[in-house]
Amino acid sequence: MVRREVGRTMRVKVQTLVSPVMSATLYIFIFGSVIGTKIDNIIGVPYITFVFPGILMLSVINAAFASSSSSLYFARFIHSIDEILVAPFSYLEMIFGYMLGGVMRGLMVAVLIIGVGLLFGAVTLVNPLGFLFYIIAISGIFSLLGMFVALWAEGFEQLSTLNTFVITPLTYLGGIFYSITMLPQFAERLTLLNPFFYFVDGIRSSMIGVSEANPVIGLTVTLVLLIGLTALIVRLFHIGWRIRA
Amino acid sequence: MQNADNILVIDHLTKKYDDKVAVDNLSLSIKRGMFFGLLGPNGAGKSTTIKCITGIGKITSGRILIDGLDVEKDYKLARGKVGLSPQDFNVDFFGKCDDILDYMAGYYGIPAAVRKDRVESLLKRFELVEHRSKTFDKLSGGLKRRLVLARALVNEPALLILDEPTAGIDVEQRLALWGYLRELNKAGTTIILTSHYLEEVEALCTDIAIINNGKIVAEGTKDSFIKDGSSLEQKYLEITKGEKQ
Repeated sequence: MVRREVGRTMRVKVQTLVSPVMSATLYIFIFGSVIGTKIDNIIGVPYITFVFPGILMLSVINAAFASSSSSLYFARFIHSIDEILVAPFSYLEMIFGYMLGGVMRGLMVAVLIIGVGLLFGAVTLVNPLGFLFYIIAISGIFSLLGMFVALWAEGFEQLSTLNTFVITPLTYLGGIFYSITMLPQFAERLTLLNPFFYFVDGIRSSMIGVSEANPVIGLTVTLVLLIGLTALIVRLFHIGWRIRA
Repeated sequence: MQNADNILVIDHLTKKYDDKVAVDNLSLSIKRGMFFGLLGPNGAGKSTTIKCITGIGKITSGRILIDGLDVEKDYKLARGKVGLSPQDFNVDFFGKCDDILDYMAGYYGIPAAVRKDRVESLLKRFELVEHRSKTFDKLSGGLKRRLVLARALVNEPALLILDEPTAGIDVEQRLALWGYLRELNKAGTTIILTSHYLEEVEALCTDIAIINNGKIVAEGTKDSFIKDGSSLEQKYLEITKGEKQ
């Protein structure tokens, strides 16, 4: 299944790999080289260095979400999901197949964007293992969310609903482009309730070594979401919600 | 009902879609090595029964055993014994022929070296070699049907289920396919065939059941259906017409 999912990614490279790298390059150029040079250091690092982990995360999230949501929804739509249902997979294996497909696409996008970041001098990496953990865990979480949306959606329009109304706003309000210390106290406290803030902070702290959140809370939020969503999707597959007649 | 001779046992199967009963307390046993014809008008419950056997459909009540394995409780092991060629093309339209077979073989855990040989042999057997790099959506109806049949055989199933396998296939290919199916059956594969071509069922099957309104309304050897000199088609019409009245 993972091979097939990676094959899907490579089949439409421009859409799945080139497009997110183009967007990230523009973000890095505008926020890093154009606006960033006019902004003082944030939490002790140049703006481009501060903002790069968030831009990276944004692209990874979108890649992982798009991979699993489009693959599973399309499989439901044309009934090719039956191929998976008749095969001797456990429900957990089916889910890991889709999830790892999303993680692989997230990793491919991450590697390409790091390449671009190196050209702009935006990349530092103080904790490679922590970085890898957060990239894989976040890709996994958004692959699972993509699967949930793919099961829930009755039409192509609904496929983008969660992304438009939940994921994108929470991501942008999660401190990608600013430090939460810049916010009014109320907004700062509100941000601490946004799980996306911990995702950005986890990647940022592993890259630049400076954290704005309590790392234990960040790790807990990430693991709880990963395990909780896995359990939810396994349950939905087990009862056959919208996939078994 | 279960004994070692039976490859498939359907025990009081009921399948409802909301309030509509599609399969109504149906029981059926199929012995190893049978070439079994499952007949019935459109909407009689044939495809629903097949979906329940293969795991695509959820069972409302009753149970199904494949080679003694419960399709709900021991679903992983049970599914490994079945190959399905469905009526509708449930295939990734943009997948290449050889990839479709290779991925399916991978789903059954067939090692890479064996998989390669198996895929080559099926491509040759179904005269798909020259079309191997074409995507599914570029194939003619007959080629699509042959590919779906090849896919059903990739795990060398003990029980092969063919739902309208020759629809859209020309006469020469149909006759060639009949020959191949006879060979397979002779080699020990149990085959369940549903077809609207009654001459096909008459030519191939050893045993027949007629299903109507979700129930088995007639069952026996082929010879018992045609022993009074009438054709299978005449007998079929007689039985299903009688049911309507």
